[in-house]
Parts: sequence; C-alpha cells; structure tokens
Amino acid sequence: MKRFAIVFVMLACVAAGGLFPAGAAADGEIKLVGVISAIDIAGQDAASATVTLKDNKTDAAVTVVVTDDLTLDKFKDHRIVVGDEIRLKYESKDGKNLSRYFRKTAGC
Amino acid sequence: MKRKWSATLASTLLALLVALPGASLAAEPAPEAKKSTFDWLTIGGDYRFRADSLNGKMPTFFNFFDPSYQAFLGGGPAPSPTAGADVKNETLYTNRFGLNLKAKASQNVSASARLVMFKTFGSQDDSAVSGLRSASGTIQPFFADRVGVFDGTTGHIPADGKVFVDYAYVTINNIFDQPIWFSVGRRPSTGGIPSHLRQNNEKPGNAGIPALLVDYAFDGATLGYAPDIEALPGAYAKLCYGRAFENGFTLDSGNGLRDTDMIGVSLVPYDTDRLYMNLQWNRGMNIFNSPVIKSNTVFGNTQPSVDLGDIDWFGLTLLSTMKKVGPGTLNIFGSGALDKTHPNGKTVILSNGFDTGAGLMFTGRSESTTGWAAHIGGRYDITATRTKIGAEYNHGSKNWISFVPAGDDIWTSKLGARGNVYEIYLIQELNEKAVSSHIAKTFLRVGYQYYDFTHTGSNNWVGAPVKMSELVNAANAQMLVPVEKATDFYATVEVKF
Repeated sequence: MKRFAIVFVMLACVAAGGLFPAGAAADGEIKLVGVISAIDIAGQDAASATVTLKDNKTDAAVTVVVTDDLTLDKFKDHRIVVGDEIRLKYESKDGKNLSRYFRKTAGC
Repeated sequence: MKRKWSATLASTLLALLVALPGASLAAEPAPEAKKSTFDWLTIGGDYRFRADSLNGKMPTFFNFFDPSYQAFLGGGPAPSPTAGADVKNETLYTNRFGLNLKAKASQNVSASARLVMFKTFGSQDDSAVSGLRSASGTIQPFFADRVGVFDGTTGHIPADGKVFVDYAYVTINNIFDQPIWFSVGRRPSTGGIPSHLRQNNEKPGNAGIPALLVDYAFDGATLGYAPDIEALPGAYAKLCYGRAFENGFTLDSGNGLRDTDMIGVSLVPYDTDRLYMNLQWNRGMNIFNSPVIKSNTVFGNTQPSVDLGDIDWFGLTLLSTMKKVGPGTLNIFGSGALDKTHPNGKTVILSNGFDTGAGLMFTGRSESTTGWAAHIGGRYDITATRTKIGAEYNHGSKNWISFVPAGDDIWTSKLGARGNVYEIYLIQELNEKAVSSHIAKTFLRVGYQYYDFTHTGSNNWVGAPVKMSELVNAANAQMLVPVEKATDFYATVEVKF
C-alpha cells in the first residue's frame, strides 16, 4: 500500500500541474520556455553567443545574448543544439536581452 | 586457440594503427548540429562488435552439487573437494545493436525507447557467459548475475538474436510551468555515471543513476525537480521508484511472496563540467532469492520462492572534467557506497525440502550486515588525435552487495565484486566527419580487466560470503563455482549514430 501511495503522489503532482497556473516571474526578469531556432557563436574562443528561441506559449521569436562560460561550452561541444528546449530567464538592458539562466528543460 | 585470439587482437590493433594517421590530423569541427530529420522525432543508435579473451582461476572448493557432497548430506562419508583449476574462454565474440527513438508528442510530453539486440557469435542463448560447461553440456554458473538473462539484465548480457525493449518511457515536463518532470515506464536505469567514460558515451542527463549502486533495467517512475539556485548550478533532485518482481494474482491470504520494489532519492546539488556531485539513498524491499530465469544451467528454470528482507544503500559520486590539461581534457571520478541489510530471517529451501540455511547475506544465524565499496578512476582525452586513455579501480568489501547485474562486463558486473578490480583501456576515435547527428562517432577500444576476488558471492545476496582461503572447509560448500582471479582482454569496434 505504501508503494502504491508513492506512485499515487507522483501522479497527483502531475495532475495538479495541469490544473494550476504558473507563478509570476521576478521583477525585471522575464521567464520563458522555448525551442532554439538559431545559435550564433563567433568562434571556438568566443565570449558570447546570440541565440534565438521560439517561445512555446506565444510562438514569438526571442533573441538573447549568452555570456556564461558553462552554457558557451555546451554550445561549442554540441551539448546544446538547435531544436533543444530551453528554460530561459533574461532581462532587457541597453536594448539587448541578456540571458540570466539558460538550461535545457529538466526531464529524461 | 591462442592463435585465434591473437589474430583478433592483432586485427584490432592494426585497425587502430590504420586509424591513427588520420586521427593525428587536427580534429575537424562537427557539422552544424542537426537535431533530427523531423523536428519531433530523433533517431539514433549504436552497433558494437566485441571480442573477449577470458582466463580465470578456480580455487579448490566443496561443490554442493557434487555426488560425494550430496551423499555426505545424506549421512555418507566425508566428501572430496573439487580440485582448483584454471578456466578459460580464449575467444568470445558478441554483436550488439541498439536503436534509439525519441518522439516529442506535444509541447511538454515526449516518449523515448531503445530497442536492442545483444548476441553471442555462434549461439542462440546466454550459455557462453553463464558458467563452466562440462563435456556433457551441463553448465555450473560462476556468478549469480550471469546464471541467465532475467528482467533486469535483458539486452545487457550477450544472449540470442532477439530484439528487446531496453527502455520505453514517457516524460511530462514543465509541470506547473516549473522545472518539474514526471517520467514513467521501463527506465534508462543502466550505464550510469561514471561508467559512461569507459563506454565512450555522452554523460547521462537528469535520467542518470550512480553506476556503483544501480545498473538494472527497472520498470518504474521518477518525479524530479531542478530548482534555479545561483549558488548550486545544475542542481536537481529526484524521487525514483522501480519494480523488480511482480508477484501477480494470489489468494487473499497471499502466497508467501510479495512484489519486490525499490525506491530511491537522488540529490544532485552541483552539475557542471568542473564538478558533478550525486548523493543517493535507495531501499530495496522484499528482495527475492532468485529472479525468473529460463536457464539451462544446473539450477534449471528459476523463480522467486522466498522474500529475504530489505536492503538500504547510500552513495556519493563525484565527477570532474578539466579542459586544457596539457594537450587534452582530464576526466576524474570517485564513488563510494554503503549497503545495510535487514534480513527477515527466512532462508532458501530447495524443491526437495532441504533448508540451505542461506538468507539475505547470511548463512545459519540471521544477522544484518554492512558492506562498502569504492570506485575511482579517470580518462584523459587527447584532443588532437581523438585518443582516450582510461584507468579504473574498484573495491568491494566482504559484505558488499549492489544492484548492478546489468553491468557491461563478461565475467560478472565488476562494480559488484567482492575484492579488487583493475581496468585500463584505450579508445581511438576515427577522424570521420559526423553525418547522422552531432554525437555520431566511430571508435575502436581495447582494454584489460583484472579481478582479484577476496570473498565468494559477488553480486549475490543469498548466503554469507566466504573468504577464498576458507573454501577448503566442507562446511563452506558452494552452489556457484567460485572464481579467485579473472582476466579479460577485450577489443571492440563501435559506431554511434
């Protein structure tokens, strides 16, 4: 019975996820989940990349600048590629969208 | 026979030499990464040819199935031991082919599957790896995880030419619009971190498991959460559940057996190239004495006949990738684990009514045991030549028991060994431009494993381990043929697409 309860709780979480709306993003920060349509890195030693994603909810194209080394490394060795779904947080500054969090959506 | 193996090894080394000149050129960049032919469907897979040359040393021991020992049990004279001897299989060839599919069904729902065939050359069963074959064809197994293919090892132990479902599961992502996911089905719970290094596979993602604790094809489910914590990049946590034996319908009063299940909690506080850390707790419940096996060994077909109790496991795994260390990249890892048994006092009773006295890691008096294991190693990747050189060592204590029967080793899953295992290997990737996908590659691998067992019963939770030097005592008769030392020279040709 305990084991059934574990599976039941898991399924209940999934069902609840479909019923309740998402929380709001923090001030000044924009969150979205979208699929990468283009990655532009200047070269193997580039310190930034320009990435375009298609927002899952609105279908709008969003272009962000990524500068963190962890993510740039993943672009360079193709661990993040066009077609991957990304959970993104960014803020607009001086006319540019600067990535603050750029990660493949969790899951397996 | 030695000439046959030498010829195979020479062919592989020749292929390595042929590959090296091309590989010595600067590595070409991979083509602009293409996700798949269709936006919603990703197709991939792999093929592997593997040749093994296996040698082992069987110590002098008392064999439970020996007629003189059976007579002794019936009140006869003292039995005579089976003399120690060397055992071998100079050449074992296997084929493995896998086809991977991932379909994105809707925005947050995907389905993944892997179909696999793992066949021994010249055979349509698993007998080539299950044990010592007599002239009459009777096979006496060496290790519990190789007695025969069962649910948790299907597709991971060389057997016949049938195609099996290695994994098939569905994942629902972005629950509550948060980084929460739920996944259910036959799990990708094999080949975990850091075993991907010696397999030359990509590092498993959120679905990964620690190789020292779990290498078993489970049917189950996972609920995961990957919070955005600036100080803990890549952090995530998972609650996992798996079923290892389904008892089916019984009378309301039961049949003496229960379903065997495992639950686990996985905490990954850090997941970056520089540092990956995994903290794991698992509990196996109602551990059966034997899985369902259709086998032609001395045990015949087996199935669970008694629940023996529960086992807790605790593990820590660390992995680091350091780029630009000399002319290449250095990957190092270390894993440690503990197991603690909770026997229920029940023992295995044979079909003729004979009580073996063997329960969960004990023989005779029921007692809880604690075991431990460690696994360390590394791999150095030379960027320019696409050469990868690795070395690993693992040790399991007297009472170490893990849940790793699907380990990709011929003798027995090395991470479940009681004793010491050393392994070195060399991987040479061909300088071929990838076409099918960004992870496409062709490589040759040669390696050597040396097992130095200190106690019997590696990968077996039934009965107490016995020190190798104490096998000359008739009171320590064995149902499985003990192996004291074992080696495996292996060579592979592998394509991933």
